[in-house]
Amino acid sequence: MNRWLTRRWPALHWPSIRGRGRTDAGALLLTATVIAAVALLAGAAPALLRAAADNAVQDTVRRAGNDSNVLVHANWERDDGPTGGRVRMPSLAEELDNFRARATNALGPDLDAALLPPVAAVDGPILSITGGNVPRTFQFTYLAGDLGGPDVTWVAGSPPGSAVSDQYVETPYDGPPWPVQVGLSEADAAALDLGPGARIPVRDGQGRDKDVRISGIYRPADSADPAWRLAPALLRPVPGADGVGTTRFAGLLSRESLPDARLAVDEDQLRRTVHFAPVPDALTWDATAALASQVVKLKATSGSSSDREQSLKWESQLDTALRDARARNSAASTQAAVLLAGVLTATVLVLLLAADLLVRRRTPVLSAARQRGAALPDLGAELIIESTVVSLSAAAVGLALARAVAPGVSWTWSVPVVLAGAVAGPAFGTLAAARASRDRRQPANPAARRWLRATGQLRRAAVEAAVLIAAVAAFVTLHQRGLLPVASDGDTGELTGDLILPISALALGALVGALVLLRLLPLGARFALRQALRSRRPLAVFSAAQAATTAGRALPLLVLVSTTALASFALILGATVTRGLTDGAWSTVGADARLDVGGDAEAATPALAERIAAAPGVEQVVVAQVTDSARVFTESTLLTPRLVIVDTAAFRRLLATTPLPDAPALARLTAPGPGPGEVPALVRSTDGDLRTGTRLQLPRDDAPAIRLAAVGTAPAIAGTNDVVIVDAAALADAGLPAVPNTVWVTGPGAGRAVSNTGVASDVVLRADVLRAQRVAPLTAGLVRLAWTAAAVLLALGLLGLTLAAAAGASERWQTLTRLRTLGLRPRDARWVAAGELLPPVVVTAVCGPLLGALLARLTLGPLDLRLLTGQAVDPAAVLPWWLLGLVSVALLATAATVVPVESALRRRDRLSEVLRAGE
Amino acid sequence: MSSEPLLSVRGVHRRFRTGPTVVHALNGVSFDVAAGSMVALVGRSGSGKTTLLNVIGGLDRPDAGTVHVDGTDVTALDEDGLSRLRREKVSYVFQSFGLIPVLSAAENVAAPLRMARVAPTERERRVELLLELIGLADHARQRPAELSGGQQQRVAIARALAASPQLLLADEPTGQLDAETGLSVMALLRGIVESEGVTVLVSTHDAVMMALADRVIRIHDGHLDEQAAGQPYAPVPDAG
Repeated sequence: MNRWLTRRWPALHWPSIRGRGRTDAGALLLTATVIAAVALLAGAAPALLRAAADNAVQDTVRRAGNDSNVLVHANWERDDGPTGGRVRMPSLAEELDNFRARATNALGPDLDAALLPPVAAVDGPILSITGGNVPRTFQFTYLAGDLGGPDVTWVAGSPPGSAVSDQYVETPYDGPPWPVQVGLSEADAAALDLGPGARIPVRDGQGRDKDVRISGIYRPADSADPAWRLAPALLRPVPGADGVGTTRFAGLLSRESLPDARLAVDEDQLRRTVHFAPVPDALTWDATAALASQVVKLKATSGSSSDREQSLKWESQLDTALRDARARNSAASTQAAVLLAGVLTATVLVLLLAADLLVRRRTPVLSAARQRGAALPDLGAELIIESTVVSLSAAAVGLALARAVAPGVSWTWSVPVVLAGAVAGPAFGTLAAARASRDRRQPANPAARRWLRATGQLRRAAVEAAVLIAAVAAFVTLHQRGLLPVASDGDTGELTGDLILPISALALGALVGALVLLRLLPLGARFALRQALRSRRPLAVFSAAQAATTAGRALPLLVLVSTTALASFALILGATVTRGLTDGAWSTVGADARLDVGGDAEAATPALAERIAAAPGVEQVVVAQVTDSARVFTESTLLTPRLVIVDTAAFRRLLATTPLPDAPALARLTAPGPGPGEVPALVRSTDGDLRTGTRLQLPRDDAPAIRLAAVGTAPAIAGTNDVVIVDAAALADAGLPAVPNTVWVTGPGAGRAVSNTGVASDVVLRADVLRAQRVAPLTAGLVRLAWTAAAVLLALGLLGLTLAAAAGASERWQTLTRLRTLGLRPRDARWVAAGELLPPVVVTAVCGPLLGALLARLTLGPLDLRLLTGQAVDPAAVLPWWLLGLVSVALLATAATVVPVESALRRRDRLSEVLRAGE
Repeated sequence: MSSEPLLSVRGVHRRFRTGPTVVHALNGVSFDVAAGSMVALVGRSGSGKTTLLNVIGGLDRPDAGTVHVDGTDVTALDEDGLSRLRREKVSYVFQSFGLIPVLSAAENVAAPLRMARVAPTERERRVELLLELIGLADHARQRPAELSGGQQQRVAIARALAASPQLLLADEPTGQLDAETGLSVMALLRGIVESEGVTVLVSTHDAVMMALADRVIRIHDGHLDEQAAGQPYAPVPDAG
């Protein structure tokens, strides 16, 4: 008969299962607690990060502000008349409505759902208001949403009307100014001291007067209507929008007066744009890939700006913001995965140690059962039922708690822990029972004994080689491939199989380090023993002998070193991120405060800088022209780096007052260029397109391009990969004077000095950036996870130390009792016990944190921490020595506590009982 | 052989409580052992052999009765006194050898001498002598794992003799050895009694080994049943 058909099911002896469970309830409860705690952490962390990912996407889009809007431009249809003039187009508002509808239809359903209803805006040129003592500017604007423009109440006069009653009007190009009616807000009207029927004295940049008349005064129904954000001067005068000391006013056009506005300015001066603002709360991580992809597609379909056709030209930074958010989230997910992999590895090792302890306690019972005739499969089945119930119940409790504290739960990370908890005990127990029925005698033949030893050593070497090869492969993959998932539309944000190896690099590295120490510790212990044998102190000999005897025990040292190294790594990660946020804020702002001056006010930047420099508490003020995506040609391609034109001497002085790295290469920018007519530049790029020696050309309108020569490497600047820095004076000598648009300020009074400058500008304060970064969902989540992982790993390490001491206690006190039969005194026995326990703890206390630091040095680079800290380059590991010292102290303190406690517990045992137990 | 008893056991009682059950392991045991003799202690498993050896060596305390070794009342000694007794007068050989695995045979033998702070030169001389005595002079540098079971037990005996004790207590010293090796170990013990003048009290159940003893004491449910010296008993099953 087939063997399978005759095989019986294991015969379970339920009273034995219950009895063993009751006897070892404490040990089983400890195992269950470890599994539940780690299942809680591993179950909650991914769900919390996922929730943080949604928040991070929304946070990123909110911070991007108007930059994340989707804008659509289109040229107007030409208004050439049949007689050589310009034709008034009475249906211009309807054409704008069609333009808005066309843009909306092109969005696609996903993007449409993520954006607010569109607002079409038509802006005229900036006109100067004449006749006043103070520089004032004026712009007329038309706003139209799906339900018309923002609601207003006309408090005086009437809405703007048509300038003519005829349906068809053609006006010559060089005719008198075409009249256009506008409405003014109450604030604007009061500031201008004008009322309905009055004419606003304005003229354009060419000095031509314009005929702009006030039809009425309005009050907005809802000044918080998002449409007003597109033209805030329609609500009230905006000081500084067009330079220091200037104030911008705005007039509201109506559907009827819009055709007149077209004729009132040159044909290409009236710009129409449809604005789509994103709804941050509607954005989720899952939707980001599709949304970013759709935005990119729309931008790719844009016609060229010189195209006179009315095709849609899309413009948005939303895709960049979403991509940045995805990259940050992917980095945070993989960083969390690296930490979790470490925690799980340590947990599995601790569970193996706990199983070892449990089986040591049970060996007499299992041996007796085996000697009574119990079959190994039966014993194995009984043990696996017990361990499976314990592991699954504990994991269920942990995951239920995770579900209670987190918006979701991830069970996949708990699988290794449950498996280890379920399998380790039965495997060790079955082996112990099998050994009980085996001939335990040492072979009398020395060759047989040597063969046995060689077999064991070969088996161990094979396991160590496998771990080493896996670790090397993991580190190579980590450094070559990195940890970020390959970006694709199908990327769900889940960790993919190809990431398992690099994510395991940290844990495997810790294991390899522990294995190396496991090889070295016996050598050290034997060396210490040799030294002790030369001494006259018997305690030194016995302590060293005990230490040397147990130095080769693998599990305790693996647990101690791995947990300590991984805990140290987690502390280093947390400290590096925390310090990185500070450095990132410096790198992002470039100083204590930065002013990004609006395009219309750039001319006022030098005067503004002088005023700021005179303010109290200001140390350094530097102005620069910073142009993102400047067009620069190399010999072979067009690049769009960030171009920084700055007074390099002042810039170096500023750097000297900040923690930002000094850039001695800046000095080369004021030296003559390497070739005739070449302006020296510092360059930096991630892909190597820009490097020292590269020749560049900076194109100019109506003039030959300026030749640049890269003479060195530019300092890293946050927020951009490619940078070109040029000295302002050198560039001016070459014929391109800088128009500064950025002011960097350092000093304790920098924040106060840049506030209320009276110029339209964005103020960026380093303190604000740092505060925002610290509470950013992903960053805060990762830092919390790092500290939690460190605490859990340290707790596992201390538990491992206690378990290891408990597991070896029986053998240790057997030996000590035998030494006592030779005359060793009880108090001396404690010292010998300490001599056995302390060496691995001391080695761990010293080498564990160092191994953690080494692992941090090897792995922090590919973790892309800069994506969360906002730094320009990957941060160097920050070693929190006092925290690492605390880890070591905790280990030593626990070991110092274990010895007297164990000694006190064993003192109650009579020597005879200890010796009987060992027979 | 001296006529003065080296070991005097008087009215020793030892009870063990296991839950509600009380087991009388030793029930009024009394006997003397003359110095320089080899006494075999035999009995079934659980008869009280090991308990008696433990009480004699001060590893366990009797509930009643006294034990005198060379005039010292073992039952009245405190822990330090017992430690001194074990360093100077009483030593043990166990079934499971109990050698320190990382020390060589010579270093294991030297352990009690280190404990007694014997000078290195004297220590080396004594170790060399003992290894010669047990026939393992050539294995002095080998570790226990490199020795056979019989050799390990010989080293354990040498270690027990290192501090020149007056009384050697051996609890089933041949329990883990095959018959031939066990016999050689017992012969060694016999030789030591002859050459070193040590008093040996050995628990065993091997009839051949009992034949090597000067005297055989049988213990049965905590009571003694003495047999004439040199008269082997019938083999005792289940002895432990």
